Amino acid sequence: MKRTKQILAFAIPAIVGIILVAADHIDAPSSMGTTADIADFFAFEPEEGSNNTVFIVDLQSNVLPDLAYGTFDEDVLTEINIDTDGDLVEDLVIQAIPRDGRMYFFGPVAPMQSGLNSEVLIDSPLGDVEISTTTAITETTDSGVSLFAGPRQDPFFFDFFQFNAVIGGMAPNGFNSPDEAEDTFDGANTLSIAVEIPNALLGTPTGMNALGVPVYKTWVTSNQKQ
Amino acid sequence: MKLHSIKITLILLGSLAFLASCSDDDNNGPDIEPIAMATCSDGIMNGDETGVDCGGSCDACPTEPVSMDPDFSGSYAQVDHMGRPGINTVLSFDMDGEDSVKDAHNVTIPSEMAAVFQAGFEARLEQYHDVYANILGADPADVNYENNILGLDAPTLTGYLAADVLEVAPDNTTTYFLPGEDADMDGNVLNDPAVIGLTGRTPQDDVIDVSLILLFGGEDGIRFSGQDTDDDGMQDLPRLTSDGVGLTADISTTFPYLGSPE
Repeated sequence: MKRTKQILAFAIPAIVGIILVAADHIDAPSSMGTTADIADFFAFEPEEGSNNTVFIVDLQSNVLPDLAYGTFDEDVLTEINIDTDGDLVEDLVIQAIPRDGRMYFFGPVAPMQSGLNSEVLIDSPLGDVEISTTTAITETTDSGVSLFAGPRQDPFFFDFFQFNAVIGGMAPNGFNSPDEAEDTFDGANTLSIAVEIPNALLGTPTGMNALGVPVYKTWVTSNQKQ
Repeated sequence: MKLHSIKITLILLGSLAFLASCSDDDNNGPDIEPIAMATCSDGIMNGDETGVDCGGSCDACPTEPVSMDPDFSGSYAQVDHMGRPGINTVLSFDMDGEDSVKDAHNVTIPSEMAAVFQAGFEARLEQYHDVYANILGADPADVNYENNILGLDAPTLTGYLAADVLEVAPDNTTTYFLPGEDADMDGNVLNDPAVIGLTGRTPQDDVIDVSLILLFGGEDGIRFSGQDTDDDGMQDLPRLTSDGVGLTADISTTFPYLGSPE
């Protein structure tokens, strides 16, 4: 991992205009490497037949040197947006914001307004949990919602170094074979916020995916205090 | 009744005696708190109180300390957005070479994203193909995106991806995407029952390989996958449909599902 980081630090200035790290790690100039930089987003059924849905938001990353990493910013509000009727406008939001070593959660509830500006939905508290350091500390609310916030291994995997070579026209053979490829994110950590919530609290979706399956359409945003 | 009266009298006498001795000791010896004078409504912790005006001989203190709610006031403005992995990173594209379009994508609401970004995404997709046209010594005009395993043409695919949301099905097993057979041979696996996916994303899902297959795989999903087309033992086409890596981080089957930091 150390070696990878050194190579990346050397290589990036040489690839002018191409600093690309997926999934959403370091994706754009305004948020790149800040405490509000979203690294990744997962939404899944925790096990077959479960009546819960899990949302995991990763903020910040130490995959490269000199990125903001390690502390949740009290001026950054994280918002999980959930569109239940398929019009790509959020019908419910779940918010998370840290205060003094704890992560406070609000919702799921309709936002005061959809769009780019938010306030903390203080009238709809969901619960709060101590921010973990190494061992995961979790809380489960009376309504059956599990909450977590703290550093975790970054599960994203991608041969980022080879990707830059590919799109830079320097890899005639494309990506490497599995025995030569290297996961750039091996050894990297991120700051995770996790919520496991009973589907009953979100309602039955009427929106569909391309296969006709009812789905929530979800996205995560980070929001800076003004 | 009589007994009760006697008890009260004794208590009163005792109190008077205590007050007298207390007064005498005011300037001598250790201060002994005048328990009988301490009131349960004077706004300070005194007497045998264990909190302000509570505990001891006063009413019991609240079991939970009175919490001061943190201050959550103020307004917050969006700075970053994510739905599917890698979308903004890989496909946002400004013809002038500026990254400002990536910032713009992060502060556009999903219902407006397709209209704003589809054309740029399609141009970026074509530019990636031109990279390999040049490497292969072909005319860039001849190496273009071909309809993918979902049967989607470039405008449809990039419009779909530009509206950057992650779909999750509450009542189905989560699979990011697992293409099945094109059983009816209509060039579109979406019509075939074997296809599963678009039901969410777990940490195990190989989202990069799925994305590469949809962008560079053509209708069979393996258009550029490192083939040796002339059987001379040398690779003739680039490997663009898999980056060759799988999950390396520790994950867990229980909440919060991700491994402790390294």
